[in-house]
Amino acid sequence: MLSLKIAWRNIFRQKRRTLLTVLTMLGGFTLSAISIGWADGTYNRIIEMFTRNRLGHIQVHAKGYLDKPSLYKNIKDYGDVGKKIAETKGVMSWTPRFFTAGLASIEDKSMGVQIVGIDPVRENEATRFNKKIIEGDTFSEKASHQAILGKGLAKTLKADIGDEVVIISQAADGSIANDLYTVTAILESGNMTQDRSTLYLHLKDAQELFVLYDAVHEIAIIAEELGQVDEVTERIRTKLDNPELKVAPWQEFARSFYIAMKADKEGAWIMLFVVILIVAIGVLNTVLMNVLERTREYGTLRAIGTAPLQIFRLVIYEVAMMAIIGVIIGTIISIPANYLLSLQGIPMPEQFTYGGIEFTHYYSEVNLHSLYLPAITVVLSALIVSLYPATRAARIAPAKALRSQ
Amino acid sequence: MENKNNDLIVTHSLVKTYQDNGIPVKAVRGIDLTIQKGEFTAIVGPSGSGKTTFLNIISGLDVPTDGEVWLAGKKISEMSGSELSDFRRDHIGFIFQAYNLIPVLTVEENIEYIMLLQGVDKEERHRRVQKILTEVGLDGYADRLPTKLSGGQQQRVAVARAIVSQPSLILADEPTANLDSQTGVELLDMMRELNKKSGITYVFSTHDRMIMERARRLITLKDGRIDSDETRE
Ligand SMILES: Nc1ncnc2c1ncn2[C@@H]1O[C@H](COP(=O)(O)OP(=O)(O)OP(=O)(O)O)[C@@H](O)[C@H]1O
Ligand SMILES: [Mg+2]
Repeated sequence: MLSLKIAWRNIFRQKRRTLLTVLTMLGGFTLSAISIGWADGTYNRIIEMFTRNRLGHIQVHAKGYLDKPSLYKNIKDYGDVGKKIAETKGVMSWTPRFFTAGLASIEDKSMGVQIVGIDPVRENEATRFNKKIIEGDTFSEKASHQAILGKGLAKTLKADIGDEVVIISQAADGSIANDLYTVTAILESGNMTQDRSTLYLHLKDAQELFVLYDAVHEIAIIAEELGQVDEVTERIRTKLDNPELKVAPWQEFARSFYIAMKADKEGAWIMLFVVILIVAIGVLNTVLMNVLERTREYGTLRAIGTAPLQIFRLVIYEVAMMAIIGVIIGTIISIPANYLLSLQGIPMPEQFTYGGIEFTHYYSEVNLHSLYLPAITVVLSALIVSLYPATRAARIAPAKALRSQ
Repeated sequence: MENKNNDLIVTHSLVKTYQDNGIPVKAVRGIDLTIQKGEFTAIVGPSGSGKTTFLNIISGLDVPTDGEVWLAGKKISEMSGSELSDFRRDHIGFIFQAYNLIPVLTVEENIEYIMLLQGVDKEERHRRVQKILTEVGLDGYADRLPTKLSGGQQQRVAVARAIVSQPSLILADEPTANLDSQTGVELLDMMRELNKKSGITYVFSTHDRMIMERARRLITLKDGRIDSDETRE
């Protein structure tokens, strides 16, 4: 109590020095809070664009499908599998996908295409499918021989809404798959390469065309939270308990993307290190000067019966208080700053395209992690460098200190 | 053994040798002295004669190179640092030349500091502070900061701080050196009054003739030894 009182009042003795020290800690805190928020924001946004809107956070395939995709490596009775997935804690939605290839023709234009069969309701729920449509209307809920074309593909085939498209391929039973569909919409997924060659069918239509009833090639899953993907993946594995099925989080099925993201994030740690350095030097200087100036005072306190540990605490409390003030003000600044940057974004000096998605802006994010990491960093580094001056203060020999008039 | 009931301080062949860059400086060269409870004693002598060194050793602020010190029946010359710290808190009140009040604490907080260390409860502290403020003539100054007081007033606060926890001994190394002589004499008279009233032992050092005259016992040091020791009525 008494130590706290003295420490608190000591803060206001050298106002300029205190101000500078608090500013150093506040600056260090804010700098790292924004840089972590920023790294997290940019990172999570890219991952969300990459996974939430397209691939899903978690995918289920038949074993070996990803290494060598084939019509025959499929998930049977996908409805049951889906039901189990939906029951798993942490799963927000799931959507089945049917993949194969074929030839699409409109009048005299033909093109080899990737055929993707989707459940329109589930796909929209999971990856906001309908938002990607730039012209026309999405599939009817019931399969009714409709096709949706990627933007580039529509251009190549000179397709308009209402045109008839012929698809030719080989069905699972070896027969010729051949049918006629009406173009109902044109879609832009954000991945130009993909849009040049993708044709979407209603899942039921695709299954019928390829004579593979009740089978799909992929189930994409969206977790409630990106941060929980690993746990949710593990839960799904346990729940499905099927050696024929492979359940993988995005870090696995989009490995190179994951590695790129990870490298990018490391920059934030360098920032923390810089902050530690700045805070350490600033605080050490201040505390050493304070202790030196108050040698006689601490000597007096020691003389009249204060224990060394109490002097030690006096010095540490003072630093802790300054650090806490710095962190509190820093938090008050960082939250709105990160919030603003999460809405606004900062243009990247060099824009880049990854997996067909263009990234143009850095975005920040308000999260706990961007506050408590810098807070711990600032407070701890301030306290650690204060150990030395505090020990020195505690060890002051009263007789000697009192002689130094 | 050495300390009969009435002896407060007993020293035996006390020696203190400082090392000044490897050169030994003999500040105290063998002092045998007994100070009894309730004394009002001045230590005098030329500069460098060892007054401060002697006071520091008998108050446990410094340790002797050789010899023994007994204080209130305890052999303090062999105590550890933390034992000495607690001993000083409970048995010795200090008055310094430059007052040495804690600048961020008010008069009342300065005075109650030691009682806080001792764990005296709030009401008792307040009661004692009020009483002592009256005794040192500083009624109504409880909430002032030391910087807002004159030197004489600050030294009265220091006296109050030293005696409030009722120690066995008050030590004052040149308590009047920073005061003008009139104020110094007033302070000494006040200390003498308190000494008579409470029976607490006072040992102080001084250069000032007017101050020396107020002591009942006058011990003169010279080159780290007792040169003369006279008691007056
Ligand atoms: N820490 C120290 N290191 C070396 N020598 C010291 C130290 N402290 C005191 N001395 C020496 O010890 C001797 C006695 O000093 P002390 O301060 O006890 O004298 P004093 O009688 O109090 O003098 P003054 O009247 O000037 O206060 C002096 O010669 C002094 O220089
Ligand atoms: Mg001296």
